[in-house]
Amino acid sequence: MRIRIIGTWSWWTVLVGALTTSTSTEPLAAQDELPGVSLGLVYANTYLPALAVQPFVGAFGGDVIASQVEAIVGRDLRNSDQFEVIDSLPAAMVGSHVDYPLWDRLGAVWLVAGEVEASGDGYMLTVELHDVVYGEVRDRGRFKLPSQDDDDFRMSVHRTSDEIVRWATGAPGMAASRIAFTMVGNDGNKEVYVIDSDGEDLRQVTDYNSLTESPTWSPDGSRLAIASYKTGVPRIYEVDRFGNELSALPAVRGPGDYVTPTYHPDGKTLAFSVFGSNSQSGIFTYDLAQNCCLSFLSGGPWYDVSPTYSPDGRWLAFNTLRFGDAVPQVMMMPAEGGSAETLSPYEYGGGGFYAAPDWSPNGDLVAFHGRIDRRGRYHILVINLDDGGRVLRQLTSEGNNEAPSWAPDGRHLVFAGERSWGFGLMVVDVTTGRLRSLLGGRRVDLPDWSPVIPPA
Amino acid sequence: MIVRRFFITVFAATLLVGACGGDPPPPPPPPQADQDSLQRYNDSVAAAEAERRAEAERLAAERAAEAERQRAVRAARAALEEMVFFDYDMSDIRDDAEATLRAKVDILRASPQVQVRIEGHADERGSTEYNMALGNRRAEAIRQFLVGFGLGENRFEIVSFGEGRPLQQGSTESDWARNRRGQFVITAGADAINPAN
Repeated sequence: MRIRIIGTWSWWTVLVGALTTSTSTEPLAAQDELPGVSLGLVYANTYLPALAVQPFVGAFGGDVIASQVEAIVGRDLRNSDQFEVIDSLPAAMVGSHVDYPLWDRLGAVWLVAGEVEASGDGYMLTVELHDVVYGEVRDRGRFKLPSQDDDDFRMSVHRTSDEIVRWATGAPGMAASRIAFTMVGNDGNKEVYVIDSDGEDLRQVTDYNSLTESPTWSPDGSRLAIASYKTGVPRIYEVDRFGNELSALPAVRGPGDYVTPTYHPDGKTLAFSVFGSNSQSGIFTYDLAQNCCLSFLSGGPWYDVSPTYSPDGRWLAFNTLRFGDAVPQVMMMPAEGGSAETLSPYEYGGGGFYAAPDWSPNGDLVAFHGRIDRRGRYHILVINLDDGGRVLRQLTSEGNNEAPSWAPDGRHLVFAGERSWGFGLMVVDVTTGRLRSLLGGRRVDLPDWSPVIPPA
Repeated sequence: MIVRRFFITVFAATLLVGACGGDPPPPPPPPQADQDSLQRYNDSVAAAEAERRAEAERLAAERAAEAERQRAVRAARAALEEMVFFDYDMSDIRDDAEATLRAKVDILRASPQVQVRIEGHADERGSTEYNMALGNRRAEAIRQFLVGFGLGENRFEIVSFGEGRPLQQGSTESDWARNRRGQFVITAGADAINPAN
C-alpha cells in the first residue's frame, strides 16, 4: 500500500451527486457547499458482462436441493455487482446440457452450470464456468456441501459463489461473509445481531438487556469485540457469534468509558478508546492474547474515537474532536502513534462533520460519513489514498447514511441508512453505485462486515 | 364529682370563649364553696393545662421543623438531580445550566458524604460513536464546572451513554433538545443530603 502525504484541501476535488446518475458520466451541477472545493459526482460508466445461470441439475439424491443451491448462487452473483445476471430461466427453455449458441443469442458472456449429488451426510456440488464467446469451459470445481440443516450449509454455497466470481474476474467475492450490527429492541435496549451477506439467517448474538455498541469482527471471523454497558459502564468484551463471552478487557486505564474496539490485523491486539475519569482520553492498544502491554497512541485533552487499521497494520485512521466538539474530523497516524494528518476536508476555523472511518481491505480507500449539505444530511463518503486523497466521492444522496463498513471484496460498503420509510442496513457498490437493502424497517446501527468466513 | 365537672366545664368554656375572641357570655354565678381550696384547685388545673399546651406546641413546632427540613432535603435532592441541557454538538455549559449547577455546588458543599454519577447524553444525530465521545465531553464539562468550585474530584464519576438512552423518543428539534443532556445519579450519601446553608 502506498500512502502519500495529503495536501491542503484547496487542492481537493470533491465529487458529489446522485446515485440515479450512476450510468451517466456527466457530473452533476456543482453545489459548492465546501469553500474552495468544487463538487460533482462521477461513476465510471461501468460495463458489466452478462452472466447466465443454467438451471442446476440434481442427480443421485441431489435433486432436493439443486434449485435452492441455484437460487443462492444466482443471488450471490447478482449481489457481487460484477455481472448482469440472467437466471431463473425455465429448464424447458434452456435444457440440461450447455447450448452455447442459445446463450450467445440471449446475450450471455458467461454461463454457470451446476450439478448436485448426495454425498455422505451432505452433497457434492460440481460447478462449471463456461466462456460463451469462446464456447469453452473456463473453470470447473467440486464443492462439498453439508446437509441443509447444518449451520454451515448456506455459507458453503456462498463460498462456491465467491469462487465463481474469482474464476470470472480474478477478484475476491464477499458472499461468504456476515454483517454484525446493533439493533434497538422494544425495551429500548440494544443488542448485537448478525446476518449473512445476502440478508438471510438473521440471528441475535448478545442478550445483555443493556446497551451494546460497536461490534467488530476479528480478522479470522471467529469472534466479535463489542462494548457493553451490562455492568452499568461501557467495557469491552469478546464474544463468539452465538453470544458466548470469550474474554473481557480489564479496565487497564482505570475508570472511564471503554468503547469502539477494533482488531489489529494480527488478531491479537485491540485498539480502542477510553474516555475519562481521572485519565486522559484517547486511543489505546492492548494485547488481549497475552493480557499485557497497554500503550497510549493519541489523545490528551481532546477525544479520539473509532479507530480502524490499515490492512497491513501499519496505520490507524480515527475520528477526533480535537478541532472542536461540533467539527469531528477523520485523521490517520502510524499504528504505534505519532503525528497525525487530516483525511477529511477540514480547514481551520471552518465547519464540517466527518466521522466513523473504515479502512478498505485493499488499503487504498477510506470510507466515512459526513454532513456536507445545507440540510444537514449525512452521507457516505470515500477517499482514495493512492491518488493523494484529494478526491472525495459521495456514495449516497438520499436520507441519512452513517457508519460505513467495507466488505472483504473491497468494493462494497454496508451502512446504516435512514429513509422516509424507516431505518435499515444498505449495501452500496462503490464501483457502480448500485444500492440494495440488506435489512429494512429496523432501528439498526454500526454495521461491521466480516472477513470471508473460512469453512467450519 | 359533679361540682368538679362543673368547674372544668366552666374553665373550658372560658378558654373556648377566650380562644374565639367573641363576646364572653355572662359568667355563671360562682358556686359557694371553700374559696381557698377552690383557688388552689383551679391553679393546679391551669398549670397542668399550660404545661400540656406548651408541650403540644413544642411537639408541633418540632414536627413542623422536621417537615420543613424534609421538604428542604427533598428540594435539595431534586436540585442535585436536576438535569442540564446542551446545544447541538456542543459540550459548553450554557447559562441556564450554570444556574442549575451552582445550586448543586451549594448543596454538595453542605453534604460532604454525597457522591454523584454524572451521565452525559447526546441526541440521535451525527455518529453513534462520536456521540459516545460527545456524551463523555458533556459529563466531563459538568464535572470540571463542579470541581472548579472546590468540590473533590473523587466525589464524581462520569459515564457517557451517547445517544443510547434518549429521554424522549422522536426526531423533532424539541425531542433532540431534551435528549442533549447531563443527568445526575446520587451514588452515595443519599441519606446525608443537607440543604444549602
